[in-house]
Amino acid sequence: MLTFARVSRLLALALSLFLVSCAEESPAPAAKESRGSVYRHAMDGAPTNLDPTQADSIYANFFAVNLYDTLFRYKYLARPYALEPNLAEELPQVSADGLIYTIRIKPGVRFNDDPAFEGGRGRVVTAADFVYSIKRHFDPNVRSMGSWLWAGKIVGMEEWRENGADYAEEVPGLRALDERTIQIQLIQPFPQLAHTLTQGYAAIVPREAVDHYGAEFSLNPVGSGPYRLESFDSARAVLIRNGGFRKEPFSLAREGFNPEQQSGLGLEELEGLTPPFIKRVEVEFINEDAARWNALVAGEVDFIKAPVSQLDSLLSSRNPPTLKPEFAEQYQMDASLESGLVFTYFNMSNPEIGQHPDPEVDERNRALRCAIVKGFDWQRRNEVFYYGIGQVFPGIIPPVTPEYDATQSFDYVTRDVEEAKDLLVRNGWTEDNLPTLEYGMVSGVTDRQMFEQFRSFMADIGYPTDKIRPLTFASYGDYARAYQNREIMLITLSWTMDYPDAENTIQLFYGPNASPGSNNSNYDNEGFNQLYRSSATMQPSPLRTTMYNNMNRMVMEDCVAISGLSRTLVLLWNRDFTMKPDRSFVGGSYFRFVQAPGDPDD
Amino acid sequence: MKWLAANSTAARTWQALRTDPWGLAGLAVILFFFLLALCVWLGLLGAGWAEASGGRWQGPGPDHWFGTNMLGQDIFERAVFSARIAFEIGLVVAVATTILGAGLGALAGWRAFGFVDDVILWLLGVLDSIPFYLLVAALAYAMQGQPLAMYIAMVFTFWTATARLVRAEVMRIRNQDYVKSARAIGLPGWRIILRHVLPNTSHILLVQGTLVFVSAIKAEVILSFLGLGVQDGVSWGVMLAESTQEVIAGHFGNFLAASGMLFLFLLGLNLFSDALQDALEPGSARLRSRLFKAPA
Repeated sequence: MLTFARVSRLLALALSLFLVSCAEESPAPAAKESRGSVYRHAMDGAPTNLDPTQADSIYANFFAVNLYDTLFRYKYLARPYALEPNLAEELPQVSADGLIYTIRIKPGVRFNDDPAFEGGRGRVVTAADFVYSIKRHFDPNVRSMGSWLWAGKIVGMEEWRENGADYAEEVPGLRALDERTIQIQLIQPFPQLAHTLTQGYAAIVPREAVDHYGAEFSLNPVGSGPYRLESFDSARAVLIRNGGFRKEPFSLAREGFNPEQQSGLGLEELEGLTPPFIKRVEVEFINEDAARWNALVAGEVDFIKAPVSQLDSLLSSRNPPTLKPEFAEQYQMDASLESGLVFTYFNMSNPEIGQHPDPEVDERNRALRCAIVKGFDWQRRNEVFYYGIGQVFPGIIPPVTPEYDATQSFDYVTRDVEEAKDLLVRNGWTEDNLPTLEYGMVSGVTDRQMFEQFRSFMADIGYPTDKIRPLTFASYGDYARAYQNREIMLITLSWTMDYPDAENTIQLFYGPNASPGSNNSNYDNEGFNQLYRSSATMQPSPLRTTMYNNMNRMVMEDCVAISGLSRTLVLLWNRDFTMKPDRSFVGGSYFRFVQAPGDPDD
Repeated sequence: MKWLAANSTAARTWQALRTDPWGLAGLAVILFFFLLALCVWLGLLGAGWAEASGGRWQGPGPDHWFGTNMLGQDIFERAVFSARIAFEIGLVVAVATTILGAGLGALAGWRAFGFVDDVILWLLGVLDSIPFYLLVAALAYAMQGQPLAMYIAMVFTFWTATARLVRAEVMRIRNQDYVKSARAIGLPGWRIILRHVLPNTSHILLVQGTLVFVSAIKAEVILSFLGLGVQDGVSWGVMLAESTQEVIAGHFGNFLAASGMLFLFLLGLNLFSDALQDALEPGSARLRSRLFKAPA
């Protein structure tokens, strides 16, 4: 039997725990002591594989573009993003018909020393290394995650794969003309080609290392990038400056410096210095928001993506986002729109809610989808999940792209409960005949809360709550498998753009890309498809932008998706560091430009 | 207690419970939560657990006694609704576990040292060799998407302890004279087990049932916290999972409501099950008493 004394002790313990948990947290002074040229970067996820052919996440891409060289990269500071030669000497020379790209690489660039090379000394990077690296994506044994970027685009590549992927066999459309000249011949114009060559997927690997390490190559990267890997496990990775990296003095003008927006970051001091500046980068993989935040406050890391739940205590104003003075003393902040969007697809191949061969049913389904779109409260979604600093926009062309039309009507993303109800009534939808909606999600707090919010929005337009059910999956892989198998009616996703061109989001609705391809709505509209085919081979122009916007309108008229919102990512870093961080696919190569306190260009 | 026969087990148990103030306090707590759950079942409380009726993270007030969460949902409504979930899970798992554990345990005990007993003991050994929460989590993960995944995972994991206890008790009972007499007059084995053996293990089943009830509630909280438990609804585990994102921002409503109610309910259940065990098995209480008084 429990005695009174024992119960009292238990209660006292519980009370103590409660009081400890209520203790107010305040930012502790960040570690100021000198620790050499070390930058400690917190990532909210971790890569599992460092082979560039597997660089399918932001995290893996970060490592690929810092450990390896790519032909091109994006200018460090220019927004909208602009291409900059990296290993290439200059931007590609493109033939008049847009089919042949010729690229010269810089002379004398060497791979890092490694036992994989003869005598352990890294050799010079050649055009043949690039050819080999791209061929690997089409080698069935490699199981590349990035082959889709160039599939069906390079002359002879598909045949090379079908003939057994023999690396000794030349691909007519991908050749090394000499030691330093690459020629790519396309089947049809692909204006985004140069953009794809900035990605981690296009990183250049030496064949010796792939052969030497075999399956272990994924953990033993050997590149010519600004950093080399010292250690890597599930908790952290350490990168060391590549002392032999080519000497290219930093130029504010070349990197697209904008004094009006970037003058407070101290970047002017970098002019003329030679990157990479930081000798050692320690990347901590910290999934939990609270742990990441506490690591920054305790001075254990120098950079984090701020958790949304912390923004209330962090910011003194939202528009523009401004740090409270007590935080501004210690940290710099960057609040920029992401290169991507969050949205919810309707599964258009589902006869209960999608396209239907019977025109009458098809029209009723369209009305149902439009009612759901009108019932969705984007402002509230933004307020609750993105602290109200995300940008809501109509359709599928995100504001960060040059093709975005800021003057278009915002009706599509303006909630109108009465109109939604009216749409349902006019098209014969009643509580009894409305279909049961299955809302797919990965098991987790945020997804569950988003589902509950969606259900409450729908309750407002008269959709019975017991007809909106969650379809939960244990992992993102299971979820992806299900929507690629067309098993889910409502698919909520975020899309991070691979390159800053609206084509990258428009292709998500192109009929031939239907599941298991990237078009998981399975939308198939011949008019849209025709426009996409025509615009896909066009260089950027006002006409192409008009075509993009017409496709955007088609998606909205057919109510194919509840879309969209671009999140504002709040990045925080120790203000002793001089940098302009970027957490997107297109911005991962900025490590080389991070400058530590009191760290001269040595 | 006039309706209880003076010398019946129930009457003796009640007499013992009446003299145990902590046991009565535990019973009062359980009854309180049962009343809450009953009100939820009847639709008198907790009906608005899913509605976003307030602003984001509102503090406690007359409209929202425990404040609101990130979505503007009333935390009191959600905490009360969770009491119903806790009762449902506790009861379903306790009853199913008791039936399965009692059935297989009795069978093993009745056929002790035979083939059937060997098979059941092997199964018990295999299941018991896997860490308890790891097995529940693994099963729940493997069956995710099935509506009853969490229940099945718990029953599959929890029945072993009941089965072991019942087996031991049945091995003792089967050598009693009244069982031998029943055999002598030709009663079939299944009938002897059902009518004469299992009723005499009721004290074990009752105590074990309350312990499983407690374990099921704790397991649900852990599974829901990990995203493997309640999928469409709310529970204290779900609320605690939500609170992980809120406490670092200084919002404690979810955390205090869920952990407070869970603490109180589990305290009540533990006090009551302790008292019940003492009442049903006075020997165990005396043994504990001797152990506590034993010199170091």
